[in-house]
Order: sequence, then C-alpha cells, then structure tokens
Amino acid sequence: MDKIWGQYGVLLDINLTTREIKKTKISNDDLKNYLGGRGLGMKILWNRIKEPGLDPFSPDNPLLFMPGPFSGLPIPSSSRTTIVTKSPRTSPLNEKYEHSSTISYANMGGFFGPEVKFAGYDGIAVTGKASSPVYILIEDDKVRIKSARSYWGMGTDSFDKLLIEKYGKQYQSCYIGQGGENGVPYASIINTAARAAGRGGVGAVMGSKNLKAIVVNGNQQPNLAKHKMYLELLDKARTAFREDKEGVESWRSGGTADALESSSNNGTMAVRNYREGTFKEIEKINTKAARTQIWKRDFACFSCQLACKKSGFAKGAYGGVVHDGPEYETGTMMGANLLISDLEGLNKMIFICDDYGIDIITVGGVLGFLMEAREKGMIDLEFLDGIDLRWGAVDASIEMIHKIVRKEGVGKLSSQGVKALAAHIGQGSEEFAIHVKGHELAAWNVNTHAERMMITYGTANRGACHLNGSNPNRQNYDATQDSLGACSFAGRWYKGEISYRQFIEAITGVEQTDEEFNRIGERIFNLEKMFNYREGFNRDDDCLPERFFKDAHTYGKGKGILSTHEDFDKWIEEYYVDRGWDKNSSKPSREKLIELGLEFTS
Amino acid sequence: MLMTPKESSRRDFLKKLAIGGGGVVVLSKYHFLFGNEATNGILKAIVVDFDKCTGCRTCETVCSAFHHPVEINGEILNGLGNPKLGNIQVYHYNPDVDIPSVCANCPDTPCVNACPVNADPNANIKPIYRDEVTQAIRTNHDVCLGCGSCADACETERTGIIKMNPITQHPEHICDLCGGDPQCVKNCPYGALSFREVDINRTYFGLSPEEIAEELFERYYSGEEVING
Repeated sequence: MDKIWGQYGVLLDINLTTREIKKTKISNDDLKNYLGGRGLGMKILWNRIKEPGLDPFSPDNPLLFMPGPFSGLPIPSSSRTTIVTKSPRTSPLNEKYEHSSTISYANMGGFFGPEVKFAGYDGIAVTGKASSPVYILIEDDKVRIKSARSYWGMGTDSFDKLLIEKYGKQYQSCYIGQGGENGVPYASIINTAARAAGRGGVGAVMGSKNLKAIVVNGNQQPNLAKHKMYLELLDKARTAFREDKEGVESWRSGGTADALESSSNNGTMAVRNYREGTFKEIEKINTKAARTQIWKRDFACFSCQLACKKSGFAKGAYGGVVHDGPEYETGTMMGANLLISDLEGLNKMIFICDDYGIDIITVGGVLGFLMEAREKGMIDLEFLDGIDLRWGAVDASIEMIHKIVRKEGVGKLSSQGVKALAAHIGQGSEEFAIHVKGHELAAWNVNTHAERMMITYGTANRGACHLNGSNPNRQNYDATQDSLGACSFAGRWYKGEISYRQFIEAITGVEQTDEEFNRIGERIFNLEKMFNYREGFNRDDDCLPERFFKDAHTYGKGKGILSTHEDFDKWIEEYYVDRGWDKNSSKPSREKLIELGLEFTS
Repeated sequence: MLMTPKESSRRDFLKKLAIGGGGVVVLSKYHFLFGNEATNGILKAIVVDFDKCTGCRTCETVCSAFHHPVEINGEILNGLGNPKLGNIQVYHYNPDVDIPSVCANCPDTPCVNACPVNADPNANIKPIYRDEVTQAIRTNHDVCLGCGSCADACETERTGIIKMNPITQHPEHICDLCGGDPQCVKNCPYGALSFREVDINRTYFGLSPEEIAEELFERYYSGEEVING
C-alpha cells in the first residue's frame, strides 16, 4: 500500500492503569479502507476486542476519540469527532453472553477533533482505569496524565469555564459531568459546555475509566498528497456555500429547531411517548418562540458556515442560565414527548442534562415512559419516590433527572433506560418501552413513514438511531460521512465537482472510482454488523416496539396510519437481500464479506 | 512520521526572490509587498462586528494560509491554514461569546514606541515600524532583540494581540492588512469583519478580548434585551 497523505498514521495510545503512553502505528491499509472517525474507530475496536462478551465497563474496553481526514482542514462544516467504544447501552433479546452489547459511536461538533489532528494524531485510544480521577493533557508530543480529583463532581458548564480560565484559547477539551462519573449508562461526553457526543453511553465508559477530561493543544498539520487540487476544491466548496444563500440561511435562522414545527405538522414528531405525531402546543416551543424568548446568538463549529447552534438566556422561574437550545432533538424529547410546552422550563431541563452530561434523547424517552406507566396505573407515587411525574410537569421532571444522575431510589432503575424499567414493571409496559436493542429512539416518530423509519431504527448498529439512513445506500453514505469528520447537515453541498471522494483524493492521494469510494461506507457498516453478530445480535433484535404496530395516532397527519408485522417482515427481508445478508439470521454472506475485504471477521 | 509542511514565511521567500531577481511573473497575487497599494496615508484596520461573529475561526485559517505559503513543485501556494498561525485570533468564552482579536493599527503605536532598538538614534533598521506605503505595523526580526517590550505594551495598553513566539522570541500576530486586501474580511462567511479607517472613538477600539467579552456578556445575556429578536 502506498503512503497515505493527510494522515499521520499515528494513534495516541494511553493505558490509564499502567500509565503507559505510546504512539501506535495505524496501517496505510486501514487509513485507506476505513478513513478515520467512525470507520477507523470501528476497525481499531475490532482489532482490540477479540472475543465477544466483554464488559463495556471493563478497563479493557477501548474508548476511541476519532477525528477524520477532514479534521483540522478548514473544509466547511468538517468539525466532527466520533467516539467509538463497546456500548454499555445495548443488549440482545436473548443474551448469548453476560455482557453482549453492540458497538457504540457518538459524534460531536465543535473544535475538539481538529485540535487532536493539530496535535499530530489520527485518534486517541484510552484503555485501562485510573486509580483515582484523572484528565489527560496533550500538548503535541507531550502527553501527561494529571489528577482530576478536585474537578470530580463538577458540572460540565462550570468545568468548561474553569478550563477556559486555566488553559486559554489554544486548548480544546471534552469532558464528562456527574452522569459519566456516577456510571449512568446513558452519560454523554460534552465539549464547549453544550456540544454533546450524546448517544450510546460513551460518557459512561469514560467515567468507568476515571477519566474526567481530555485537554489538547496542537500545532501541526500533515502534508497533503495534492495540495493544489485541495486548494481548488476548498475554493469551490466555499463558493458553493456562499452562492447558496437560501440553503445556508435556513440553517442559520433556525438550525434543526425549524423542524419542530414542520415535523409536528407532518405527524412525524415524538409526542406523548410516541403515542402521537403532532404536538398541539407546538407554537409555544417552535423557532419563533425560541427567537423571542430564549435565543440571543448563533454559533458555528470549526470552519462551519451554518451556525446552527443557538445560545440564549431564559428569564423567569427557570432563568439565570445561558445555554444553547432547544434544537429539534432536545426540543422534542424534553418538550413534545413529555407534553412540556413551557419553553423556559424546557430550556432549563436541557441545561441540567448537558451540565450533568447525560443523553437528552434517552432522558426524554425514560421520562415519557414513566409518565405513561404512571398514567396507566402500572406504577404509583410510591414507586416514583413521591415525585408527581405527570405529562407536562417541568419540576417533577427536573427532580427525576436529579434522582437518575444520583442513582437514588427510583433513579437507580431509571438510569438503566426503558428496557430495564419495562422488564421490572412488566404488566405489558414493554409495548410502550420505546427502544431498539435497549437504545431509546430519537425524536422522529415512526408511523407516518413506517417503512423508512423502521429500517432506520431497526437496523442501526448502535441500537435505535435516527441518523442511520433508511436504506443501504444512504446508510453507507452516512457511515462514510461520519468517518471523514464531516457534518451530516452539510452533505448536500458536497456533490458533483466537490464530492467527498475528490477531497479524499487531494488529501490522501488515493485515486479511486465513486464505486470504490462508496464501498468504504459499506465495509464500515458491515464490520459493525459483524461485531454485533458475534455478540449474539441477529434478525430478532432488529425489531421495533409493539406500540408502532398497535397504536395509530389519533389526530394529525398520521391519524389512523398503522403498519403490520407482515409489512415489517417484508421490508426487513428486502433490506437484508439488498445488503447481501441472510434473511433468517441477518448475517452478512461470506461472498459479501470477501467482496468488502472483511473475510477476517468470519 | 510526523511532518511539518515545508514552510517558508512569505518574507523569507520574497527575500530569496529579490536576490535571485526573477519570478515576478508568478507573483501577481503578491504584488502588494512591492508597494503597489498606497493608502494615501489613511490608517485602516480590521474591525469586528461582534453581533455577527459566530466563532467559526475561518478568519484564523485564511490568514494563516495566506501568510504561511508552501512551495509545491516550484509553485508558491497558500498553506493549509493552521489557525494557530493566524494573525487574527478568535477567543471563545463561556457564556458563549466569541471575540476575534486583531491588531488595531493604533495611531499612537504603543508597540513601536516601546521598542528599545527604535529608541536608539543610531539604529537605522527598525525591528517594529509603521510601513510607509501600507500604513500597517511591520516587523524586522533580523534586528529584533526579542525583549518583548512591544508585546508588553500591547498587552497593557491595547488588545494584547502581539505575542512573543516561544521558540523564535520574536513578536507575532501583528496584522499586515495583507497589503490592503485583507483575506479575513474577504472570506468571513458571516460578514462580521470589515476593513475600515481607524477610529479610536469606536466602542471596542483597542480593548482586550477579556474586556470585550465582559461587555458582551452583559449585552447579550443580562436578560434585559433581545438582540436577534
């Protein structure tokens, strides 16, 4: 394999048990075949976890912080860092091993990934467990493991302020809050106090290693294969954004929050624990309301022209904090899904979850499940430790969030997610425990576009995921995008003469056809699938909660629409055939694995 | 395995070129350095509209790419734009406020005045001076003592953008206005930067990023006023 330019071929390898710090070589083959980010992280995870059933909280579970080949280059909207590990959130229907779980990947914008690249690394692998809380300080080649004992217990917002004060502008960081410290399985990793690698419990794995934060300052950039070609592509990309004023403005004006109103109108929103698809009070939490009551400023990630992050300040009883949001996912899961329309209360809940560093999507799922179980009389006030959790209740929700993070009383079980709650409560509550493989669904409801959404959620390799794509081509494309360090919100501009493939050719020097390039995403997706298959996940696990086959929405655009199990079986079988997977077991065929260069997996 | 791009500063490159006496044809883009862009003595500087800045740091990268070119197959091209090397620097704070900090091109030049070499009547080459043609503050590291007086003066009296390079011990981040066509202004996706006549009476003239941040916290997040409403 020829040299791969634009990458260092270096993984910073840190063992917190032995305090050994070394640079591990990443092969040119892996850089070519898996790019970076989610893909390269998956390949490294596969290389290191050789047997199924590893406890995700074992010191041996690697936690990988992966920028991509675009990271650190000012290619518009290329700020993403993917964190890859074995998931503490997922489990199959029939556990083959005590700790069977899927892979996990979670990605965040901001400035962290580019900085890792500036420090001279294509990724950071953290294994082991420190004997007391630590953080990792990286200054190019100089890497230190430092005590974080005095920071343990700090919320992400005050810790972020502390780091800015202590290290200043040339350092970037990511960290956990009390969620990750206390081992709440759906803890997130946060940077700039609000941008979250939210899903899949990556923050819980970080906490299990006694790792509070990684702080980085770097000053390098790797040489590119075709510098001039890269500059020309960059120029064209900037022009493409500049000339599409309307497209860019749509992100700047409302970010993803613009979808709150359209999704509600279309009946595609998670409302009342996914029972409905339209929120009757949507105008109280939509973009217009947020602009008037909360948002003050727009913010962008590294080198991004879209500035979809909105920061603001609420007044009134829930005022006093400056934070970003709500956007579509947080606004829906903390708002519509719980029938909460108090925008300031909603904003406060988002702040509290980010400050604790817990996944807002899952918290919204958990609270929605508890509210419904209470309404149905399956649990009572005593079960809830006296917290009067009802639809629309902000204060009770906040109280429950505190309990979850402290793992106190009802919070302890709730911190395990809706699958564990339903298993404990029984009484048929499994039907409205909204998860796939143990991972709660996101803010897009299912019924109105059931085929698309069931495939999206059902086949996602990290458990239910709204960013998974609804067909193999789209899924492969998304896996590639996550492996470049590129943002999914900006994909539409990278077409024609400024495709991702051409950027990769300019950066790495790899000349390939579109078909060969598209195969990278397919390879990554299939490798993830093989990891999960080895853990004991099969066709039975690619299933949706019973609610989506039983409860049609009672109003709105999705009213009366319902799919059957037969519909789903047909769709999923078509999907497996399309994928080249076995219809009964969902295992990728031997031919498919060979075709993708994945014969080492079987 | 770790590589630093073969990088020569534009000044070094031009120096070589001047000695060689050739290559002017490839330099149409860089003609300003030969003094074609007269400003008629008007002092201009980069001015930031903080209401529009989103903290994306594109300005840092385009500044860096332009001032740290690379030579590829004999051709001088923009560098990759490592933001750390930008003369303009964006400071981020929590609560969310981003402050691009850039040389204010102060009419009374505290940095130039503080230089001990400049104070020496016998010194005929100055380490830090105002360029007669572009009116920008320029440096000449060959005669710089590395004492840091310019950076100290900037820090105590103005923006504090001048920093001493820890390795070379020479002042950095002084804006040369790209000779009259600032790249940051041209490339800011949000229109937050403009190239304007220096006005010492404008609100944030010569203030440090911390001082500006304090004022903006108050302005945006005190709960009194909706800015973008």
